[in-house]
Amino acid sequence: MVAGYGDDHAHDHKPKFFTRWFYSTNHKDIGTLYLIFAIVAGVLGGFLSFWMRAELGEPGIQYFEDDIRRFNVYATMHGLIMIFFVVMPALIGGFGNWFVPIMIGAPDMAFPRMNNLSFWLLPTAFACICISFFVPGGEGGEAGFGGGWVMYPPLSTSGSPGPAFDFIIVGLLAAGFSSIFGAINFITTILNMRAPGMTMHKMPLFAWSVLVTAFLLLLALPVLAASLFMLLTDRIPGGTGFFDPSMGGDPVMFQHLFWFFGHPEVYIMILPAFGIVSHVVSTASKKPIFGYLGMAYAMVAIGVVGFVVWAHHMYTVGMHPFLKAYFVAATLVIAVPTGVKVFSWLATMWGGSIRFTIPMQWALAFIILFVIGGVTGVVLANASIDTLLHDTYFVVAHFHYVLSMGAVFGIFCGFYYWFGKMSGYLYNKWLAGAHFWLFFIGVNLIFMPQHFMDMKRRYVDYPVEMADLNWLSTMGIIPTGLGMLFFFLMLIEAFIVRRPAGDNYWGEGATTLEWTLSSPPPFHQFNKLPVMEYDDHH
Amino acid sequence: MTRNAKTLFALWAIAVTMLVIGFNFDSLYNTFCKVTGYGGTTGQADVNDSEVINRTVRVNFDANVAGGLAWEFSPDQPYMDVKLGQTGVAFYTAKNVSSKPIVGTANFNVTPIKAAPYFIKTECFCFTEQLIMPGESIPMPVMFFVEPSMDDERRYDDIKSVTLSYTFFKVENPKDFDLSGELGKQGAAQGRDALN
Repeated sequence: MVAGYGDDHAHDHKPKFFTRWFYSTNHKDIGTLYLIFAIVAGVLGGFLSFWMRAELGEPGIQYFEDDIRRFNVYATMHGLIMIFFVVMPALIGGFGNWFVPIMIGAPDMAFPRMNNLSFWLLPTAFACICISFFVPGGEGGEAGFGGGWVMYPPLSTSGSPGPAFDFIIVGLLAAGFSSIFGAINFITTILNMRAPGMTMHKMPLFAWSVLVTAFLLLLALPVLAASLFMLLTDRIPGGTGFFDPSMGGDPVMFQHLFWFFGHPEVYIMILPAFGIVSHVVSTASKKPIFGYLGMAYAMVAIGVVGFVVWAHHMYTVGMHPFLKAYFVAATLVIAVPTGVKVFSWLATMWGGSIRFTIPMQWALAFIILFVIGGVTGVVLANASIDTLLHDTYFVVAHFHYVLSMGAVFGIFCGFYYWFGKMSGYLYNKWLAGAHFWLFFIGVNLIFMPQHFMDMKRRYVDYPVEMADLNWLSTMGIIPTGLGMLFFFLMLIEAFIVRRPAGDNYWGEGATTLEWTLSSPPPFHQFNKLPVMEYDDHH
Repeated sequence: MTRNAKTLFALWAIAVTMLVIGFNFDSLYNTFCKVTGYGGTTGQADVNDSEVINRTVRVNFDANVAGGLAWEFSPDQPYMDVKLGQTGVAFYTAKNVSSKPIVGTANFNVTPIKAAPYFIKTECFCFTEQLIMPGESIPMPVMFFVEPSMDDERRYDDIKSVTLSYTFFKVENPKDFDLSGELGKQGAAQGRDALN
């Protein structure tokens, strides 16, 4: 350090409360903000789903008598909130910000102020989405937009004249640009700011997963932004007609545009969870991850192939059978790199002295449930079968097994793995275990019966024959809700009791750079630049 | 320029490129449909200068009216047999059954979809917007031919008939007609006559 310049950094000097949290440019503080934001949004998004599930508990209309269209508004908001304001902020903004710079031995993100912009665009976007819930949207002036997170025209153009959908467009544009800024920041950080000796092929898998995710964001989100702009101009009376056949447009074109973004988006939500689970499995097995390079390039392969399979979401639009055949084949190919990952996790555990710690329980549940969701995905990839299953609860069960149980279990897995590192305190194992088991039983009870319901999506009511399975599914919200209660009890208990966590509370097996720092890490880390030796492993 | 700044600009270039592609997807999509016949997009030509060969294809005619358009629309002939390369002229009739002048425009496609690129139109009412006064009934001609090169490849041997389908949509803000001026007044008068 240059003499006379002061050495505040060595003393872990933190700014005052308002400056620290509102003007924050520190990657760890921004990561914390992202995680808090995701928890708040998750409670709201979860409440919406509990309300819908309660409605579907028995045939007839229980809670939506005034306006049955409101049910679809709930479904739309639940989808948008969970995707854009829970899973993405938690996995990419939260854990990505916290641990990518530390894992690669960087002092901070490449563009700290852009990082601040990325975060603060999100609450702005979330406010727009929440406003949309209460302002008129439908043709009769009913509140909210009920066209699903896919926003297909004409329901989202001429079908929803009120301002509700305009708020959603503005909100998603803000959230989208937040993610684009974040993606640029992550890619620059990972490409340029690795510590000496930290080559790309020595980089921890979580950093790899965030790198691939950031490229997907960078390529997919501008397309969403363009299609949202087109929806916006189509909605103006006398405006454009990109998706309006009476003006030479094509509503199916929107579906192509949307899913060109939408399919990579599902990998955006799951890839960081893959990265986290790899670290947790390796740590709990006290072994380096099996097939490191295969694991890294499997994620790259999933990202690349993920861009050329989008039309499997729209087999029923009347496309040419040859085109369907291509999309079926391309989609099934994705099962290969995914299989590489699953078998590498199993091989990592093979012969290891496994400790069934709380994050390891989440990781094992993640692997099991993600495979179940993946297998139903292989079923749905077939165009002929999908024609029957399109828009049924089988699809709902499929994507909740990969997202609500895949991505969300990945989030909790990372949360328990790094909780001590981030907060400096150890959690209570009994409360954390209760959270895991209640949540695990609850979500399976909700979504397993949905495979067998033979019921169409997006309806507020159903025939009496489907009552039993729906009742079972609705009962699942009780353990799920109790599980979440234990999650908050665990948080409160940990911050009251304050059991200090050591630098490396997982011991042997936790080999990445965050375990060389104190818990919580100093405000500015790496006073001494870490250097990777030739035989260091990830 | 620092290394980070260089990376920043490269990544911005990628994001902006994707944004531009997204915005121009409209024209890309149209070009793609015309070139491949995707979704049954037919071809278009100024003249028919192909030779006529001895293979007959039956062309069926289909007519639809989208919701919100008070027109009656039907083909004058259910089908027509043409030789490959021979120019066919078919007529549809459209009638405005409302009391207001209405501008409409037609979308079209040809099935089976694989034959669509060989189905060429030289004249068609679907190329422009159409105005029909209240109660008025007008003929809608279409001139077309099927390209004889379709006979060259075996995968088109099974094509014995094709269906040309039109759907008329209402044009809310016509580009070719101004209904707010003289034309609108005339239309309103004609509408009163039609009602009486």
